[in-house]
Amino acid sequence: VLPASCTRQVRGYYVDWRMLRDVKRRKLAYEYADERLRINAIRKNTLLPKELQEVADKEIAALPRDSCPVRIRNRCVLTSRPRGVKRRWRLSRIVFRHFADHAQMSGVQRAMW
Amino acid sequence: TSTVLSTKEDGSTPSAASTTKTASKSQKDSAETPKQKLLNLIGNMKVEVSSMKKFQQLKKRETNKQSATHREGLGSRSSALPKAAEDFQRSKPLKRELVEAASAVASSLPLNKEQTESDLLAQLRRHEETTDKQKMGEIVNIRNVISDMTIKRESPAQRGARISSLISLELEEDGKRIKPERLGSQSSDSRRYFLNLKVGRRLNIFTKTSPDTEKTPTAASAPTIWDLEFAKEIAAVTEQPPRNGFEEMIQWTKEGILWEFPIDNEAGMEDDAEFHEHIFLEKHLEDFPKQGPIRHFMELVICGLSKNPYLTVKQKVEHIEWFQKYFEEKQEYLQEI
Repeated sequence: VLPASCTRQVRGYYVDWRMLRDVKRRKLAYEYADERLRINAIRKNTLLPKELQEVADKEIAALPRDSCPVRIRNRCVLTSRPRGVKRRWRLSRIVFRHFADHAQMSGVQRAMW
Repeated sequence: TSTVLSTKEDGSTPSAASTTKTASKSQKDSAETPKQKLLNLIGNMKVEVSSMKKFQQLKKRETNKQSATHREGLGSRSSALPKAAEDFQRSKPLKRELVEAASAVASSLPLNKEQTESDLLAQLRRHEETTDKQKMGEIVNIRNVISDMTIKRESPAQRGARISSLISLELEEDGKRIKPERLGSQSSDSRRYFLNLKVGRRLNIFTKTSPDTEKTPTAASAPTIWDLEFAKEIAAVTEQPPRNGFEEMIQWTKEGILWEFPIDNEAGMEDDAEFHEHIFLEKHLEDFPKQGPIRHFMELVICGLSKNPYLTVKQKVEHIEWFQKYFEEKQEYLQEI
């Protein structure tokens, strides 16, 4: 995998392009997290004048679209499956089941009660 | 006749030694001959007076004299009475010869006889007090230690009294018994050595050795890359696989895989700032206007930051500075409004 700084040339081994785009979005969201927090703090209060808040609205809209954390999707790490992903293991249900049955998940056992 | 003598001198100067002399002066002012008569009477008598009675007598005399004169306000009245109580409990009062000698000296001197006599008596009494204190081992008066006037004389009776007092203290505190002789000897020796250490001259037996600053002058100021590589090679060759689980755990701890036990909650956290730098952030608000909605907003921001344990002080300061910059940029826009 290429170093984190250059994301334009893709010669790494992410599972698919969607996963790569998700990786980019995560990085940008991390970079702009503080700014977004501060501009949102200005927008979401009732003390400051409304004109200032409108200006802040425009500013936050001007930030790159991929910098907002809402666009991040918790995909499966191994298969890039967007759905059916358990957050604790970051794996999709199929991969999880595969590993658990082969006893490669520490502390995971078939439920029986 | 020890108690008798103490009453006698209290009759002469009822107040304490070093603090007030006004009472003594007023007593002197009244009459000299009645005092002499009193001295003679009491000297002949052999009466056992209790300490409480003496205290009450003293109190009465004090109240009488307080109305009379207040020339020199040396010390407080409140300290006089407990000191007087100490006077009562003193076992070794001034000898009659000393008193008479003091009066003779005072009469010989041309100045105020009564005052000189009272001063001399006070001096003598102070001497006796300090010697008694040294013997009893109650208070180490710094004044005495420095002036070095007192000579330590231990009579066996007083030493026994001291030891018994020490024993009683130890029993109350610990409930155990400690041998009295050891205690007494230790304390006396320690005190003697303590005093002796202060008085000493350099013997010049030992010479000061200068520490060796330049033991191994390195050829290069910093180890070169080749040296580092060589060191790594040696380490790689000499390291053996871990013989047991303990060595494996040691290796893991060195690498950072395993935490160090007992677990340090602040491992890896290098927050050098004190708590007040995190909480009292108002000093960063100096550049903001004092009134207005911006100030209100920033105070809320600071309140939130002070409750945030996850950010470092630097990050908090940067947060506030970002807002400052932002509002400065928008200031022209704000003034239009």
